Amino acid sequence: MVSLTIDGKDISVAKGSTILEAAAQLGITIPTLCWLKKVSPTGACRVCAVEVEGVDRPMTACNTPVKDGIKVTTQSEKLSRIRQKIMELMLVNHPLDCPVCDAGGECDLQNSCYGLGASRQEYSALLERREIRYNWPLIESDPNRCILCEKCVKVDHEVVGCDAIAVVNRGEATIIDTVDGQPLNCEFCGNCVGACPTGTLISKPFKFRGRPWAFTVTKSVCAFCSTGCQIEYHTRNGRVERVTSDDNNFNSGNLCINGRFGYSYINSADRLTQPMVRGEKVDWNAAMGAAATGLKEIVAKYGPDAVAGFGSPRVTNEENYLFQKLFRNAIGSGNIDSEARLGFAQAQRVLRERVGLQGASATIDAIDRAGAVLVFGCDLNAEATGIEYRVIKAATKNDAKLVLANMRDVKLKKFANSHLKYRPGSELAIINALTWVVLDEGLQDNDFVSGRIANLTELTAALSTVSVADAAVAAGLSEADLRAAARLLGKKKSVAVLFGADLMRSSGAVEAVTALANLALVLGALGKETGGGLFPVYEKTNIRGLLDMGVAPDTLPGYGAPSVSGKDLWQIIEGIEQGSVKALYLLGCDPVASFPEGERIRAALGKLELLIVQDPFPGESAKQAHIVLPSSVAAEKSGTFTTIDGRVQSIAKAANPPGEAREDWDILTELCNRLTSESRPASPASIMAEIAALVPGYGADVVLPAGFPSAGPVSLAVSKDVRPAQPQQAPLLLAGAILYHSGTTTTWSENNLEIVPAGYVEIHPDDAARLGVSDGSSLRISAGVVSVNAPARVSDKVQPGLLFAPSHFRAMNVNALLGKGAGVVPVKVEKA
Amino acid sequence: MAQVVFSSWGGTVVDNRAGSEAKDASFRLPTTLDGDRALAAFMGWDGIIVFDKGVDVPAMAAEYMKRVQTLYCCGKCTPGKKGTRVLMDALAAIVEGRGTEAHLDTITDLGDLLANCKCTLCQSSTVPVIDAVKHFRDDFLAYINGAQKPTASHRYIEKYTAPCMDRCPAHIDIPAYIEAIKEYRFDESLHVIRENMPLASVCGRVCPHPCETHCRRKNVDDSINIMVLKRSASDYEWMHNVAPPMKPQSRKNKTVAIVGAGPAGLACAYYLALEGYPCTIYEALPEGYGGGMIAVGIPPYRQPRHLLQRDIDIIASMGVEIIYNTRIGVDISLEELKSKYNAVFLAPGAHRSKPMGVEGEDKGYKGFLRGGIDFLREAYMGRPTGMGKKVVVVGGGNTAIDCVRVALREGAEESVLLYRRSRKEMPADVWEVDGADEEGVRFEFQVLPTRIIVDQNEQVTGVECVRMALGEPDASGRRRPEPVPGSEFVVECDTVIPAIGQDPDLSFIPEKMGIDITKWNTVVTKYIPLKDAAGKDLKDGMGNPLVRTLITDLDGVFAGGDAEIGPLTVVACIGNAHRAARVIQRWLEEGKAYLTDDEFMEDILTNLPVYDKGEAVPWLDSVERAHQAEVHGRERASKGNYQEVELGFADSQAIREAERCLRCYRVAMAAV
Repeated sequence: MVSLTIDGKDISVAKGSTILEAAAQLGITIPTLCWLKKVSPTGACRVCAVEVEGVDRPMTACNTPVKDGIKVTTQSEKLSRIRQKIMELMLVNHPLDCPVCDAGGECDLQNSCYGLGASRQEYSALLERREIRYNWPLIESDPNRCILCEKCVKVDHEVVGCDAIAVVNRGEATIIDTVDGQPLNCEFCGNCVGACPTGTLISKPFKFRGRPWAFTVTKSVCAFCSTGCQIEYHTRNGRVERVTSDDNNFNSGNLCINGRFGYSYINSADRLTQPMVRGEKVDWNAAMGAAATGLKEIVAKYGPDAVAGFGSPRVTNEENYLFQKLFRNAIGSGNIDSEARLGFAQAQRVLRERVGLQGASATIDAIDRAGAVLVFGCDLNAEATGIEYRVIKAATKNDAKLVLANMRDVKLKKFANSHLKYRPGSELAIINALTWVVLDEGLQDNDFVSGRIANLTELTAALSTVSVADAAVAAGLSEADLRAAARLLGKKKSVAVLFGADLMRSSGAVEAVTALANLALVLGALGKETGGGLFPVYEKTNIRGLLDMGVAPDTLPGYGAPSVSGKDLWQIIEGIEQGSVKALYLLGCDPVASFPEGERIRAALGKLELLIVQDPFPGESAKQAHIVLPSSVAAEKSGTFTTIDGRVQSIAKAANPPGEAREDWDILTELCNRLTSESRPASPASIMAEIAALVPGYGADVVLPAGFPSAGPVSLAVSKDVRPAQPQQAPLLLAGAILYHSGTTTTWSENNLEIVPAGYVEIHPDDAARLGVSDGSSLRISAGVVSVNAPARVSDKVQPGLLFAPSHFRAMNVNALLGKGAGVVPVKVEKA
Repeated sequence: MAQVVFSSWGGTVVDNRAGSEAKDASFRLPTTLDGDRALAAFMGWDGIIVFDKGVDVPAMAAEYMKRVQTLYCCGKCTPGKKGTRVLMDALAAIVEGRGTEAHLDTITDLGDLLANCKCTLCQSSTVPVIDAVKHFRDDFLAYINGAQKPTASHRYIEKYTAPCMDRCPAHIDIPAYIEAIKEYRFDESLHVIRENMPLASVCGRVCPHPCETHCRRKNVDDSINIMVLKRSASDYEWMHNVAPPMKPQSRKNKTVAIVGAGPAGLACAYYLALEGYPCTIYEALPEGYGGGMIAVGIPPYRQPRHLLQRDIDIIASMGVEIIYNTRIGVDISLEELKSKYNAVFLAPGAHRSKPMGVEGEDKGYKGFLRGGIDFLREAYMGRPTGMGKKVVVVGGGNTAIDCVRVALREGAEESVLLYRRSRKEMPADVWEVDGADEEGVRFEFQVLPTRIIVDQNEQVTGVECVRMALGEPDASGRRRPEPVPGSEFVVECDTVIPAIGQDPDLSFIPEKMGIDITKWNTVVTKYIPLKDAAGKDLKDGMGNPLVRTLITDLDGVFAGGDAEIGPLTVVACIGNAHRAARVIQRWLEEGKAYLTDDEFMEDILTNLPVYDKGEAVPWLDSVERAHQAEVHGRERASKGNYQEVELGFADSQAIREAERCLRCYRVAMAAV
């Protein structure tokens, strides 16, 4: 600790603290303008100048670390004069378009000038105007308003790791511009806009939508990925006009394109606004009546087992809970499942059974502090951008070593100390090889292994037949690559292991996740206060809440086993095909567009006697619906979402749903009442109370305790077969998420579509050359009888023999090419 | 002696304009910029010096501020960005006849306010301007009153520098690469380093870092750890498997042959290759042993071989051909090279051990090795070194230290260093001496070997030595060590390695070729004579003429590195070779080997120099210099253990250290 005096008050602070931080602890506010807590200090504005006794010049408080015994003065006539003059200089040639500036009313420059009493102008210089960048997508830049605080550049570089903008030119001509001078081409997270203290960088969709003070600000939670970033909806006349995030939020104010700009799906003209029965618009009473009657008739005619439903990671805990309750209690069917069956549910089952986890073993801030990070089979950039920011922070600010195992060059590659660009299908071989190298070279966490693991010798024995060389061959890597990666992970104070869709949807995913849990255990990733953990990652918000609420055929709310398991997703599809399932209820999901074998599902839906679709949007499945119930999106309702790491966070109703659309919990409550002939009112709060009584730990705004036991022996799951799998026949297509979209939701968002309007397929230059195609050429990709046409993007980010296509677009539905068990499929590729 | 008309340099005002008895003032400046054009005035961070009373000081100040603001001001702090612009416009208004006395007040006012700048560039640029307004007020008023109009009497040449980058023989833009690290941009940092330093991994590890002796932070507490920050930037690239981003220009048809794949040869090839010239390096040693003295003179525990090889591979990947196992003068003659290539660059280094002048050294005794550098080379290449179990190394330089430390790693049971002066007088870097100490090397200071003792088989069994003491001061006032009579003693050993210095072996240059060689056995290159006010020739630290074009007396043949400078440092060889590459390009394209005004200014500033150890630097000394982690204990020098001893910074540590940098940029401007 370091002791010092500020304005006559004594304080002790941690070594390395700045004068600014020390003053804050004393409640002394030193004026700042360029200082931003989440990035490195810049020291550009100079208004935080303070006097330190014995130092013959003012020092800037924001970037001057404290020293024992110093005496600091933060307020004096001299300092006030310096600060005023600096503000006057800052205002030299600053445009006076405040009345029409988007930042007017929330401008730090205005506030600082006012606060520091800069009320006159002694200085002048010849006026040079800089070109306003109107041609950037989503973001507009007016360099004339810029005070060069560098917050945008630093957030872009240090937080996002995108490096799209930079300080360019010299002297008065210095501005923030794109690195190449071309229109902005970046991740469009808009975190630069969020950080800009003036009206230099502004959101184009928000421009002129209203003065900042005219909006109602509602704190809520982002509804896109499972990171669960805290946000604020800014609404006027019941309409969301922008989304921001305060720097004091859990996510430090950082969002991604979906979080910041994806809100435009809410305002889409395509929203469902009125209930429909067999294609006719009807009122709610008629629709509800039709749904209740239809379900009752099916149950009466075929029994409750003829009814099935798919829940959704897009709806709240309360709604998922009600959905399963509707099925189990009101209908009497356990045939409920969801897209979790495409991989996440099985991975989660492994974690529950092996290490007691329903989700991550620690909250995601533990990633920041990890000594090493392994990201396996996951494009964090696309699947959970907010978690990627944490990995970047760990790697760049906290000296974590980063190992990336991914079939493609994803964004994290540039931060990775090792990129294992493995061949599809070699996941298990690599994980076993890494585990073997860790054990063989003594890189395991000895304290944890000796104290907590019951059967290490068993695993060692099983893995002793592993050939690292063979695994390397199977993965298309070198043995040295695998050994180097293991060494980067081994012997660290803490290790974070993350995995995502590529692993969960690989063939043999259960074995691979089991093996990865073993690796995490021997590395000592679990059960440490010092950081790290095991983190499954998923692209959609409430995947964990969905399972916690028992929207699965084999688990009740809180993971109790039902007396009889219902049909799972594929059994339901088979049941429809075979005629045993007659009614299907789709809550917030579109299986035809976003599940594998979409064409098979489309055909199956055609055989149903009753298809109820409850959704905000008219997707592909809705085309065949007998009853369509228009529902609300997250911004239009209340309830809770549970993040992957067990934070149960409240969302708040900020906007009005369009037309007659209603909140899902409200629709489900009424339907439940109609089916049971009761009239029990419900609200999100009362439903949560019911959940809390059933599911241990649950409640609004709580953090669920991690399920990994803090003491006692854990046993590793030892599999006998550790040989690498046979390689699949190329070419293979990998379908997955991209940064600029989230599920199919954002394909209704004009802001996202401005950046990526349609699908495409990435193809390696070698493969492209062989086919004689170039960028933009049309390719036909077929699997079985299904084919799609897609424009080619020639890119060495993929590997030879592997194609990649985004899974979001209904108009280029590559999911339909996939088989039910995997995210990778052998395809035929030809010029279209 | 040239008369100083006016000077405010260093805060001392000498004003001889009035014409009364002239006061004396002398500066480490030449009388001409380039041997031809007289230096009329000099303006910079420490004031103004006027030699020619015809210099228009207001116009020069206006131009100076304009260049600072438009060419160098980074714009990254408010007072700097806006303040220098207001200053520039105020000065321009005056010189253009639009000015008022209020402008002069604004200038004075901003002089104070710019003390709040983030770095010293804009802040220091106000010094000569304020001095001008203060001491040349009448000249400004003449402009304001319309009595004076601008005249184009002088040309101005400015130079952007900093004390550290000035002192660095390669003139790396040190503040820029440190700032990039501070901003978490290791890639950009390395890019800046490579502008002047192609072997960043090497000079991030083994550079004697003269820059740190001219670090202004030293005036606050302790210098920035500039060298290890360079290593941080360099290591980041390979630790993240990043391919170097350099893209050479399209290939030109004029070719260059380079003799020697050492630091000078590699650096010259790197910069010529970037410009598109096909270069062929001839290296006497086999493949895998490129790098010259860095390879065979610096053991791998200081410079890991794979990282040196990575730097060499990068240069090769830029289109440079390296022909190994080929000694000029043996496998191919210099004349043949000259005829096959458009230009030849000689950078053979200094690999010939000097004799130590002890009785018996020329007898071919078993256990008396040829020299330190030969020993290091054999060890590096894994060949028999002839070393026994008890090793004595004679010398006090880095090579001697490397020898005692390598001897341990080669399995010596005892490793002893004999040096005729005291520990603190050793020319070796102090951290190298400490490193040897930690590894268990025994030191015998102030001893002179006088005789090699052998047994009947002519096997060395010891060295007879005599103790030394400082004698009476000689004519130069220096006290030389002298033998103490009767203090003779014997150090038992089976191996003696003389390591008292190397010089170039220039026997490959045929006498009649027309390439002159100095009496110190270095290649003579052409120079531009610059004289100080007293008429004395300006020299560099090695006694060579200060400003050299590096072309030899034979047209088309250039020389650099240790063989041109005299045995010095990697960084000096690289700086020298970089300049050679530029001159070679000019010679190839224009047929003339010449230097630019910028290069003259560079050398003139180095001679000045930029750093002032007496300057009071107000700053809070709250963060101590960071030191890199190191492997400790004698095991690090166990037999066969060539693992790197120094471990570099963690990135976060590098960033904290970079934050200590004061970014001491400044601009000098000469009027000629």
